[in-house]
Amino acid sequence: MTDRNNAAAGELQQGLGRVWANLPGLGALAAVNHTTLGLRFMVTGAVFFLIGGLLAMLMRTQLALPEQEIIGAQLYNQFFTMHGTVMMFLFAIPILEGLAIYLIPKMIGARDLVFPRLTAFAYYCYLFGGLIILLSLVMGIAPDSGWFMYTPLSSAEFAPGPGSDFWLLGITFVEISAMATGVELTVSILRTRTAGMSLRSMPIFCWYILVMALMIVFGFPPLILASILLEIERAAGLPFFAVAGGGDPILWQHLFWLFGHPDVYIIFLPAAGVVSTLIPVFAGRPLVGYRWVVLSVITTGFISFGLWVHHMFTVGIPHLAQAFFSVASMLVAVPTAIQVFAWIATLWSGRVAWSLPLLWIMGFLVVFVCGGLTGVMLALVPFNWQVHDTHFVVAHMHYVMVGGMLFPVLAALYYWLPHLSGRMASQRLGYWGFWLFFIGFNMTFLLMHLTGLEGMPRRVYTYEAGLGWDGLNLLSSVGGFVMGGGVAMIIIDVALHYRFGRQAPANPWNADTLEWATSLPPAPYNFVSLPTLSSRHPLWDQPDLPESMAAGQHGLATMAHGRRETLGTDALHGKPREIIHLPTNSWLPLLGALALAVVCISLLLRAYPAALFGVALAAALFLRWSWENGVHLKAAPLADDEPDDLPLHSRSCDGPGLWGMVVSLLANGALYLSLLFAWFYLWTASPGWRVPDERAVALLPFLAAGALLSIVMALYHRAAIRAVQGDAEGLGTRLWQISALGVVHWGLLAWVLYDAALAPTELAHDAVLLVMLLYLLIHSALAVVLTVLQALRVGYGYVGARLPYELLVLRPFWIYTLGVFWLSFAAFLLLPMAWGGQ
Amino acid sequence: MHLVLGLIIWAVWFVVLYGGLSVGCALAPPDVALGSLNWLNAVLLILTLGCTALLLYLGACCWQGRASADGDLQRQFIVHVGAAVHLLSAAAVLLVGLPVFALPPCI
Repeated sequence: MTDRNNAAAGELQQGLGRVWANLPGLGALAAVNHTTLGLRFMVTGAVFFLIGGLLAMLMRTQLALPEQEIIGAQLYNQFFTMHGTVMMFLFAIPILEGLAIYLIPKMIGARDLVFPRLTAFAYYCYLFGGLIILLSLVMGIAPDSGWFMYTPLSSAEFAPGPGSDFWLLGITFVEISAMATGVELTVSILRTRTAGMSLRSMPIFCWYILVMALMIVFGFPPLILASILLEIERAAGLPFFAVAGGGDPILWQHLFWLFGHPDVYIIFLPAAGVVSTLIPVFAGRPLVGYRWVVLSVITTGFISFGLWVHHMFTVGIPHLAQAFFSVASMLVAVPTAIQVFAWIATLWSGRVAWSLPLLWIMGFLVVFVCGGLTGVMLALVPFNWQVHDTHFVVAHMHYVMVGGMLFPVLAALYYWLPHLSGRMASQRLGYWGFWLFFIGFNMTFLLMHLTGLEGMPRRVYTYEAGLGWDGLNLLSSVGGFVMGGGVAMIIIDVALHYRFGRQAPANPWNADTLEWATSLPPAPYNFVSLPTLSSRHPLWDQPDLPESMAAGQHGLATMAHGRRETLGTDALHGKPREIIHLPTNSWLPLLGALALAVVCISLLLRAYPAALFGVALAAALFLRWSWENGVHLKAAPLADDEPDDLPLHSRSCDGPGLWGMVVSLLANGALYLSLLFAWFYLWTASPGWRVPDERAVALLPFLAAGALLSIVMALYHRAAIRAVQGDAEGLGTRLWQISALGVVHWGLLAWVLYDAALAPTELAHDAVLLVMLLYLLIHSALAVVLTVLQALRVGYGYVGARLPYELLVLRPFWIYTLGVFWLSFAAFLLLPMAWGGQ
Repeated sequence: MHLVLGLIIWAVWFVVLYGGLSVGCALAPPDVALGSLNWLNAVLLILTLGCTALLLYLGACCWQGRASADGDLQRQFIVHVGAAVHLLSAAAVLLVGLPVFALPPCI
């Protein structure tokens, strides 16, 4: 009997292996599997880390002694800009995204993330965006205005070369990747946890990643908008940030730091999640205060959005406003402190098993707490003024970012290395790596606090001898190279362990979370069968769970249909709701990202027809991507043996696609709100704001377009509801009619724009109005195109009475389009009239 | 929703506070000589106290939901964390809003 069971389990594993395998050879580029892509994210991030580190060492060489000319001022400017850019955008965020992509499905008992093609697309956007930015460095035309690209230093007047364009376009490309990952992780965590894994029993790491993903969704759009506006200003002369035209350079700072400060926590929270995951494992007991930690993570996620102005205390903001942000900046230390105390209490009350990952966690605690304390100092406005733009700020930032992110990431590396390689790393080399890194880091940056307090400004390529900075700078530089030695030691350790590391036993750290229930290294499908859980610590409470899962004794232990599947569950309780069928290997993500790379490079070269061609190509590819869904032959065609107990998600009314649409629209809404913020900010604060004497936009046609859009939306809603109720009679015709009315609405709106007497290159007022109108036009066009697609799919039998799901997925987009239309009418046209502006 | 409602209210209040200050200063800046005793600070203070009271009320409602969550661990979790989120949000509103007592708004 046992032999027969083993044979059946073996057959199941082989079958799943065939269904989930990546394509061989170059076909691996079409992989959509989260394990493969998570690893690619992390390896690519590590390479960018080495490049950023190399730039740092060159800068420290330059600053080691006074009055050196090893690298000139121009190159130094490029280096510090690229160092910050590479480390923040191409290393810190992506490597943590990669870690989350790799781990989350395994921790929640899923076989993959919920939108695998989106993961692949995100990776390629990241890779191509990063390469485009690096290309500028290789060509010697890298951006040189600092990693936060303040205007007017980065504007066409003071940065006429292409460096700023490389930054703006490349970073926006990379941000598409981050947004895709944010949507992906949010929906995956909420909707694909294994049966019984409620929110309260979710691994604590998933809470951190959920909050991080939502922070990406809300935090990145302000910078995306700012980058688009600045690139338009540089390319076409629309004066969003130019005082002469009524713009304001401070607007850039607001939009940048609306992203930039949450970004610090986007980076810190996953790393803190690693700490909250590892400490209980090495303490041999559950995390103390799970609820308190969840509370503090959620609170941090929100409060961190209310701190952005503390980066701008010196720009002339009223004292009262500064006080608001100062208090909020101090307040955010409270939830962080809750976590620190929870970690200490867990270690205190547990039986600590000392190991290399824990040593990195200890390093994190020391360094990050120091960084947090200098953060509270910087939250005090008078002190902030005193040390603004000095090395003190540089030191603080590195204590927070390296302490708060890199130390936990290296702990994670040593902790999960056996998971991805199946081998253990060397303890001796690992300890050498830690101590060299720890000593080198503190030597470099502790001393930098002193050079800062003694007045050394940041971003100067050299300094005079005898100012009291000489010895400190030399020691800082020596420390930088010692730290580099630590990194080299870690690289050697990791490289050697693949050859010489001893075989890792199953669950080598006696961890409690499900990722250790996979084989080491994991199979592409993660688990043969998906368990029903009732515990927050499944592997502690059910030590034989990995064996029973591998034997196929739990849910979804079938592969006869040849589909990739995972379980869809309720967001709160983890009750099974549907079976989610997942796409297999696909070239579309790579091709879509390549098309966007064509757009990016064409814009850099100012080759606008080529850029338009790239946009059209990308749109065609994305529509094809959308086409291969639902009951399409390449997805899950209707069959006689449809599952009885749980429906496939494409046959349901609330599948993950709907959640993905809603989360994407939240991000889109954040972008729109950023535009509204820009409008009101310029209106109230820009010193040269001017309003034209005559109203530029005709109200009546605009209102007519809005009325038509409202009718279209109502008709669409009715068609979708009727399909849900099983009445698909004439559905295709109705969708074509809706599309036709949508085209008329779009035409009216386009006429409003054509007829508008805007002078966008002369007035920031008109430039913002132009962006608003284009935003509405793009959304209306997209809604119509997607409805046409639905109408076509009705014709093919992909959408109908039994299959109303896709109509429901599209419905929020129509609602959003209608909502922003009327909000725009109120905020951009009505309100200014009430203020007497026009 | 209970897990984030308090903080959403905090976020909206924060935007209104900062935006209201900017708009107030742009449209009708109070006399500097009045210090913190002016119409704008008074409006911001009322807004702050009202928002704090609302959050405390919602937190209390959430806490009272304990009774109906008896035996349901998931609901208990939501009730406890939700009540704490409301309480923390109320504290955040009060603390961030306190400077309106001391500082003039537009300089």
